Parts: sequence; C-alpha cells; structure tokens
Amino acid sequence: MVLAVLVIIFFTSGIKDKIIPATPIPPPEVEPIPAQPGQTRTVVLFFLSEEDTFLHPEEREIPDDTSVVRQAKRTVMELIKGSQKGYISPFPPEARLRELYVTDEGVAYVDFSKEIVEKHLSGSSAEISTIFSVVNSLAYNFDSIKKVFILIDGRERETLGGHINLSRPFLPMYDLIAR
Amino acid sequence: MFSLKKRSAQITGAIFLLLFLSVGSTSQVQPFLKLSVRDYEEFSRVIIAPSFPLSFEIEKGSSFLLVKIAIDIPFRIQREPFDSLIIKSFGWTKGRDYYILTIKTKIRDFGYEYFVINDPTQLVIDFREEVEESRGDREIRSLLDSTLSREQEQLLGEEIQTIVIDPGHGGRMEPGAQGKYGTLEKDITLALALKLKDVVERNRPVRVVLTRDTDVSVSLENRAARANSEKADLFISIHVNSSFRKDARGSETFFLGTEASDDETRRLAYLENNPADVERGIGGDNEDEIAMILWDMAQSAYLKESSLLAETIQEELNSLLKTRNRGIKQIPFKVLTGVACPAVLVEVAFISNPDEERMLQTEWFQNNVVEAIYRGVESYIDRYTRR
Repeated sequence: MVLAVLVIIFFTSGIKDKIIPATPIPPPEVEPIPAQPGQTRTVVLFFLSEEDTFLHPEEREIPDDTSVVRQAKRTVMELIKGSQKGYISPFPPEARLRELYVTDEGVAYVDFSKEIVEKHLSGSSAEISTIFSVVNSLAYNFDSIKKVFILIDGRERETLGGHINLSRPFLPMYDLIAR
Repeated sequence: MFSLKKRSAQITGAIFLLLFLSVGSTSQVQPFLKLSVRDYEEFSRVIIAPSFPLSFEIEKGSSFLLVKIAIDIPFRIQREPFDSLIIKSFGWTKGRDYYILTIKTKIRDFGYEYFVINDPTQLVIDFREEVEESRGDREIRSLLDSTLSREQEQLLGEEIQTIVIDPGHGGRMEPGAQGKYGTLEKDITLALALKLKDVVERNRPVRVVLTRDTDVSVSLENRAARANSEKADLFISIHVNSSFRKDARGSETFFLGTEASDDETRRLAYLENNPADVERGIGGDNEDEIAMILWDMAQSAYLKESSLLAETIQEELNSLLKTRNRGIKQIPFKVLTGVACPAVLVEVAFISNPDEERMLQTEWFQNNVVEAIYRGVESYIDRYTRR
C-alpha cells in the first residue's frame, strides 16, 4: 500500500514538470534558415537549337539559396557555360558576367564585361537570341524579376552589335520559346 | 435409391434449364456500349461503339467533353484499359431518358472533331491539343486588323513624297556581320540601298534619300534624325542577318515593339494630348527631357502603318525570293526608335549561312531582293495611301 502511494507520487510529480525543448522554436514569419550545403534547386535555361528558330529549355541544378540575386547570378553564369544537352549557346565563349543586382521594382541589372560586345556576331537574330536567352531565363525562374536591363562594363550601351536597343529594360518574350 | 437419384437429376436439370433460359433471354436483349481510346501522332481518338442506334449531342468544357446519349434502358459498358496523352478518364451520369459520358482530358484547351460511322455504328471523336496563338502574333494581328483612327487616316492620306533608305552599318569601325567567304554586311547593304533608290526613283515621282551613300559610319540616332529632318514619309533600314545557328536562313521584316510600361503609357497619353510638341521636339536639337521622351515615343504613333508596311514587304520577299519565311516581328530596334513616320527594318538573308552569303554576292539575287522590297513599298502605297 505504501509502495503504491510512493509510485503514485513519483509518477504524478513527473507529469507536473514542464517539458523544456532542447532548442527554442522560432516564431513564424522569420527568415528561412539558409539551406544546408548540398541542397540544390532546378532552374530552366534557354538555348538555341539547330532544329528551329526558337529558344529551347534545359534544366540545370544550382545551389539553393535564400538570395535571389545569388541564384540569378548563378543562373546567368550557367547560361554562359553553355548547354550540356547539345543545344547552341547564344553567347560568344569569352562572355563574362561582372555583376548582377535586382531593384525593389523587379528590374534585374545584368552587367557583362565588354567581350560580349567585342566578340559578338553582329546580326539581329544573334542579338535577339543573346538578349532573350538572358531575359527569359531570369524572368522565368524568379518571380521577383520582371524586367532585365543589360549593362556592358557597368555602363549603359546603345546596342550589343548595332541592332537591338539596350537603353530600356526588357520584358521577357515567351513567344520565342519552342512549344 | 435409384428412383431418388433420377428425381434429383430431373430437378437439377429443370433448374438448369430455367437458369439458362433466363440468362439466355437477358443476354440476347441487353444493349452494350464499347469505349476505346487510341493515341495517334497528332491526336487522340475515342471510339464509342454502341450496340443500339445512336442519338447524341456533344458539348465542350475547358478540360472535358460531354456526350449526351439518348437511351432510357440500362446498358453494359465495356471499356478497354488505355494510357493516353490527352484522354484522362471517363465518367457516366444518368438522366431520365439519357446518359451523359464525360470525357476528361489532361490538357486545358483542346480542339475536337467527330464523325459517325455506320454499320457497325461508331461515334469517333478526335482530340487535338489546341495551339494557342502566341501573345506576339496576336498583338501583330490585332494591329493589322484594327481600323485606322481618323487621325491615322489623315496621316495616311498624305501622298508619299520622300522615302529614306538606310543601308545598315558602315565605316571602318562598323562593318556589321562578316560571312565565311569574307563578305561584309556593310557592303551588301549599301549595294542594295543604291539599287533600291534607283528602282524607286525610276518608277515613282518620289524623292529618295540615303542615310549614307558611301562607306562611312553614321550613328543609329543620326539615321533616325535624318529621316525626320528630311520629312520622310517612309523609312526602310536594310540589313543582312547573322545567327549562332549555322542553318539559319531566310528573310525577316521588323517594326518597333509596343512594350508600354506605366511610364510609357503616361508619356504616350501626353503625346496624344499635345500633338504640337511632336512637331517641336522631334528634330533632335532640343535637349529637354520632354524632347527625349517624345523621341522615344515618336514611332508609337505610326505602329499601325509600320506593321502594314512590314507585312507588304515581307509578302513580296516571300513570293519573289522563295526564301524561308521568318515572318514579321516587333522588336525594339535602336534605329527605328525616334523615327516619326512608318518605319521598318528588313533583314534580307543570312550572311552567316554560306549558301545565302554566296547568293548575296550575286547581281541576280540583289536585283531580286530590291525588286521585292520595291513591290512591297508599292503595294503599301497603293493599298493604304490616297493620292
């Protein structure tokens, strides 16, 4: 009988104690914790094909990141690296990304070094491919990017190769993409 | 014992006979309907094969088709298992004297066609993926189709007195694209422009001005400014194309795009309400911000006409040259921005394509290109302007 009472006291006292969690539970709506190394996300890149006049999608894995700017930069760098599926890259091989930033209004400024101009093919078709490969790849993958402004060596330039006006930001042209 | 067995045998026999008769009678009468699905290259086909005469109605939803079948007796449904790209599933509902077959599709917008075969009766429905007109094509089509406003008609009513032709690139520093055999774009565009000037002036009482008539460099803005200062009624910029794709070929005609942002919509509204400012600002002399805005928006007032001119020129290039039709497109070309009259840029062929590069070097091809552009201009003038 005494034993029973002791047992009861033992157990009930245990139940009364609060459970203290090992780590504090974060409040809602807080910055998500940066992804663990090794986590990736898929982005869609747009390249040319010998088959037709359209841009073609190709998936690529990039490190997952809370920063849209970092992911966008990486996306453009992957574009410049070229296709891994045999598509044609609309960039001169010497093209290099210098900088990329995104304004609050959703305009991404993509700053290439001058090689993209110096080594460009100079043709409307070639220029359209280069520009919209970048514009479409960014607008498609990132909701916060609505328009893309292309800079060369940190400055505004009239055109890439004498044709398309670079002095205004571009909206994506999804008509150029193969169905 | 013997007699019992006989008796039970008789009874069993009778029971079986009854059963057989009852089953037999229903299977002879009960109607059935067979459903099958087959995928073909361009469409998916649903075959509805009833054993009874078919009376039906079809109604389309966004991702389903309803087939209402008039029949008021129950029937058996035989369905073959299927795995289709377009057809998702079937559903049945019953009304008083009809059944409704719901054919659910995997795609949102689809087109369908149906026909009836007799003997044996079959209703065949073919489902196709509806190819949606792209936004760009739709914009171009609505521009071409839209009726001219009164102001635009007045503008168009004016006689074409001056045409400015712009041979792309030029000068030591700007040769444009270069072909495998060493052909330079700037030389071809100049040759074509000189020929075109000749053909136009010989056939029409029109003054033709070239933005350059030798191998010199002219800035893109100056070319547009020249069009305005010469009071051009039409502006045609001539180029030769180049692509990363070795196989790219054919001709293409462009006019300016209409991507109006909020800013631009406001500025356009300003332009429409202050036509006098258009006259004043366009010369390119004025350094005001207003003049710059007006410069950017100058071509907007002429997009309808530009689309018509692009269309007539591209039509002629297609039929005369039989080069691959790449169509007309709206693209923000620097040289077209600021031009205050109908303006187009013509890419006649690809210098990056060795076959086309060779053609571009020949008198025969150059003459044909020029003839095609001239006919396009002539077509535009005859159809859309009053004399």
